[in-house]
Amino acid sequence: MTAPEPNSDNGLLVHGYLDGELDPAHALELERALAADPALAAERDSTAALRNLIHDRFAAERAPAGLRSRIESAVGLRREQSRPTWGMLAAASVLVAVMASSTTWLTLRPPQIDVAEMVVADHLRSLMAPQPTDVSSTDRHTVKPWFNGRVPQAPKVVDLTPEGFPLIGGRVDVVGRAAVPTLVYRHNQHLISLTAVPETSASAPARRTIAGFNVLEWSDSGVRYWAVSDVGMSDLDSFAKAFREAAPE
Amino acid sequence: MPFRRGAQNDARCVIRDEDQARFRTVVLPHLGDCYRLARWLTGNRADAEDVVQEACLDAFRGITGFNGSHPRAWVLTIVRHAAYRWLRKNRPTALVVVDDLEALSAPAAQIADSAQTPEAALIAQADTARLEQAIAALPVPFREALVLRDVNGLDYRDIADVTGVPIGTVMSRLARARRRLITTLRPNEP
Repeated sequence: MTAPEPNSDNGLLVHGYLDGELDPAHALELERALAADPALAAERDSTAALRNLIHDRFAAERAPAGLRSRIESAVGLRREQSRPTWGMLAAASVLVAVMASSTTWLTLRPPQIDVAEMVVADHLRSLMAPQPTDVSSTDRHTVKPWFNGRVPQAPKVVDLTPEGFPLIGGRVDVVGRAAVPTLVYRHNQHLISLTAVPETSASAPARRTIAGFNVLEWSDSGVRYWAVSDVGMSDLDSFAKAFREAAPE
Repeated sequence: MPFRRGAQNDARCVIRDEDQARFRTVVLPHLGDCYRLARWLTGNRADAEDVVQEACLDAFRGITGFNGSHPRAWVLTIVRHAAYRWLRKNRPTALVVVDDLEALSAPAAQIADSAQTPEAALIAQADTARLEQAIAALPVPFREALVLRDVNGLDYRDIADVTGVPIGTVMSRLARARRRLITTLRPNEP
C-alpha cells in the first residue's frame, strides 16, 4: 500500500498495522510508539480482540444451500430435469406402498448381495421408467447384438411368441456392481423380466415372492436366470420351461 | 426434450458453454463471500439472497468482460452494486453522502486507561446479538469496509478496488468503524 504520512495519527496506523498493511519502516515506528504509549497499546489490544471476534462469529457463515442451485439454474448450469413428474410420483408412491407392505424387505434383508431382491428392484424400476426396455424389438437378431459391448457376455435370446410369451426387448440392469443383461417378455398384459447372471456355483432352482412379485430362478449352461413378474407362479413356470427348451441360436 | 438454452430467464441472452464454464470458475467459488457481504449490507438474510442472485446474473452477463485478475474483488464489486441498488430502493436513508461522514469527528478514541479492566478481554466475550446490532448500526461506508476486511478477509488494495476509494480512506473508515464498535461494546461506565 502507499505509505501513510509518518506524522499521521498513530491511532489510525494501529489498524493498518494489525491488518498487516504497513511497510516495515512504518511498522517499526509504530511498534516503538506502542511500547512507549500504554493507551495506544490498549487500543491495539481492543482492536485485535474485535477483529478476532468478528472473524470468529461471522466469517464462517455459509450461503444457504438453495442459493447455489437457484443461481446455477438461472444461468443454465443446472438442468431442470430433477423435478419429478406426476407419473413418477405416482409410481414412486406405489413402490413405497409395495415396499412397506413387505416386512421382509426391511427386517430380513441379509447384508450380502441378495440377487433376487436386486432383480425385483430392477424390475420395479423398469415399470416406473417411460419404457421397460433400453432396446425395444421383437427380433432376437436385433436384441442380442445390442448387448455386445454393454455387458461382458450377451445372453441367450429367444422369441417365445408361439408359447404366449412374445419378446419385447432388453435392457441392462445392475446387480451388485455388475452390469447384467435382462430380457423383457410379455404375457397377456404383464411383463416378465429375465435377468441372466454368470453363475459362480450351481444351485437348485428356487421360487420366492418378494414385494408381491414372483421370482423364479434356475441354472442353465453356467448361467443363473432370474425371472421376475407379477404373473402367477404357474405361468412363470411355463415361461421358464419354454425358455429352457427353446433352441439357442 | 432438449434443453432450451437461455430461454429461461432472458430470451435475448444467448448462453454459451464457455461463459458457463467461466462463471463456474470465477463466480461460484466466491458465493459465500458474496452472501456474507450482501447479508451485512442489506441487514437481513432473505434480501441478501435476492441481491446475490441478481448480482450473479449481472456477473454472468458481464463475464466476457472480466479481465481475469482478482476474481473475488470483481465479483464482490458487482454484489456491492446490486446491494446499493437494493438499498436505494428499500433503505434510501441508509445512503447518506460519504463526505459528510468523513467530516464527522471520529468518536474520540476513548482508550481505557485503567489497566485493571482489560478492555480486550471484555470485547472477546461480547454477546453475538449485541455485536451484530452494533455492526448493523454502522453507516454503510464504514460497515462495508469492516465487513470486507474482517468478515471477507480482503486486503486494503482489494477493498479500495471494490469500494472505489483510496487506500488511505479504507484505513480511516476501518479505524472509525472499529472504534465505534469498541465504544458500543464497552460496558457502561459508572
